[in-house]
Amino acid sequence: MTPALAINDLAIDFRSRRGHVRAVDGAALTAACGEVLGVVGESGCGKSTLGMAIGRLLAPGALRVTGDILVDGRSVFALDDDALRTLRAEELGFVFQDPIGTLDPTRRIGLQVKAALPGRGTDREVEAVLFEVGLSDAGRVARSYPHELSGGMAQRVSIGMALARRPKIVIADEPTAALDASIKSQILDLLTGRCRATGAVLILLSHDLHAIRKYSDRVAVMYGGRLVETGPSSIIFTRPAHPYTAMLLRASIADVPIGGRAEPIPGAPPVLEGRCERCSFAPRCEWTEQRCTAVRPEARFIAGREVVCHRAESVIAGVRAS
Amino acid sequence: MTAGIRIPFHGDPLAQAGTIALVVLVGFSIVGLTTNIFGSPTTLGGPALSVPGPGHALGTDQLGRSLMPRVVAGIHVTILLSAFAVMIAATIGSLLGLLSGYFKGLMDEIVPRLADLMFSFPAILLAIMISAILKPGTPSAIAAIVIVTLPVMIRVVRAATLTVAEQDFVIQARIAGAGLGRILALHLLPNVASVIIVQAAYSISFGMIIESGISFLGLGVQPPEASLGSLLHDGRVYLSVAPWLVFVPGIVLAITILSVNLVGDGLRRTIDPLIE
Repeated sequence: MTPALAINDLAIDFRSRRGHVRAVDGAALTAACGEVLGVVGESGCGKSTLGMAIGRLLAPGALRVTGDILVDGRSVFALDDDALRTLRAEELGFVFQDPIGTLDPTRRIGLQVKAALPGRGTDREVEAVLFEVGLSDAGRVARSYPHELSGGMAQRVSIGMALARRPKIVIADEPTAALDASIKSQILDLLTGRCRATGAVLILLSHDLHAIRKYSDRVAVMYGGRLVETGPSSIIFTRPAHPYTAMLLRASIADVPIGGRAEPIPGAPPVLEGRCERCSFAPRCEWTEQRCTAVRPEARFIAGREVVCHRAESVIAGVRAS
Repeated sequence: MTAGIRIPFHGDPLAQAGTIALVVLVGFSIVGLTTNIFGSPTTLGGPALSVPGPGHALGTDQLGRSLMPRVVAGIHVTILLSAFAVMIAATIGSLLGLLSGYFKGLMDEIVPRLADLMFSFPAILLAIMISAILKPGTPSAIAAIVIVTLPVMIRVVRAATLTVAEQDFVIQARIAGAGLGRILALHLLPNVASVIIVQAAYSISFGMIIESGISFLGLGVQPPEASLGSLLHDGRVYLSVAPWLVFVPGIVLAITILSVNLVGDGLRRTIDPLIE
């Protein structure tokens, strides 16, 4: 069976006046129907670019260098304009970070939800969508303008809009980063619940490790435009095989015991100007050895997950010296 | 503020004064044009260059035409001509600004450069040039105002569009399958409309300056029609013997432009309170 989403060796550059900057550097990923796939990584690692590329919604300066994205076995880069519009409308749903910015400030909620529905959409259908996402006062919400809603309500509306046409893939880019801590889990419960109920793949892009761990079936860790470690979240969070995953876990406050200290990862993510011919994490890694700075690591299957690291075996075993 | 009635520019006396002045001026010209109580602007009614008095409230000009109806007609011509020209400029400018701000890329290199090019000519000089190329007259006055106010309109709309186009709701509309026309008309235009309205108000007052300028030089509105600028043109020769021929249209013109500007400031303050 073809996977709902398959990303093969995808590389994306951004053209700027000073040359090309590589945002995604040979990313590979698959996702099957009904699963929640968490993608974690620092700001600037290429998460959002990867998410937008699935809908071919990249900024005009972006350039696909190699690779392909297959949605239901069809390449999104091969589609003509009409087919692309159909794909976006019927098979993809997006939920963004800023819920208020996702809604047009000059239009009533009802009208905007209607635009997300198939065909012309009726008031009854609009209210059904709003009701499904836990907005019990659907009639009033439909008549409101975005500024009259709270952030949490607006995010519920945008989840409703994203799922209105029963898409196969839902991409949520930091869906709770702009919300109060108290309603984050409500929103994630709703999002994952609705996706599971409709059988959609949920690609959850986030740097909130705690949330990813709680809600994802599988996790993909992204660094330097590559997916450096991909596998079931139970395996990856307990026995990481990539040094970056291990260091991310140690830097996450939620995983530090009381009285302990979160360890920040020194340095900053790389700015690549082309294909990285070595391990892009090597300058910040405590496991670096000579081949890490000389040879680009390729993906390998080790202990139940896919990992892009020369030293994965040692990382799992916890042997630091080479 | 009473229930149901909203006073325009509440708490902004300058803008209110501007609005009142504008309403009075426009009211005067409408009443004058429809009822003829001030007399006809083109009839040769009395002795030439008579002083303001009971028969001719503002005196007469060198041909014996009563000045009052001519000023009333002039207000009408000056405001309407400028407003009409600005409407054209706003339509073209909004479209180009929206496209340029939304598409970026090559489109966004060409359109603002052309606007800059037009912007680099002194406005009145450009207006004279256009009137000279076309035949002097009302159409060339309109063309001059359009071309002079267009670059600023393009720039302002483009700048506003750049920020709006970055918003996620535009992407969300594309995801929902919206085409270019739908995105421009339903999502971008309403969100930059306030900017267009404020800029249009300023453009109208600037357009009136341009119109009076070229009409004063004899390149705009042609006799026997009157605009405030052409009245200044006609009256300038008789400044020492009949100063009212220059002062009355001049003062009316100044008040009209000032009140349009005050209304523009008021609109800007209402729409974007953070500017102050």
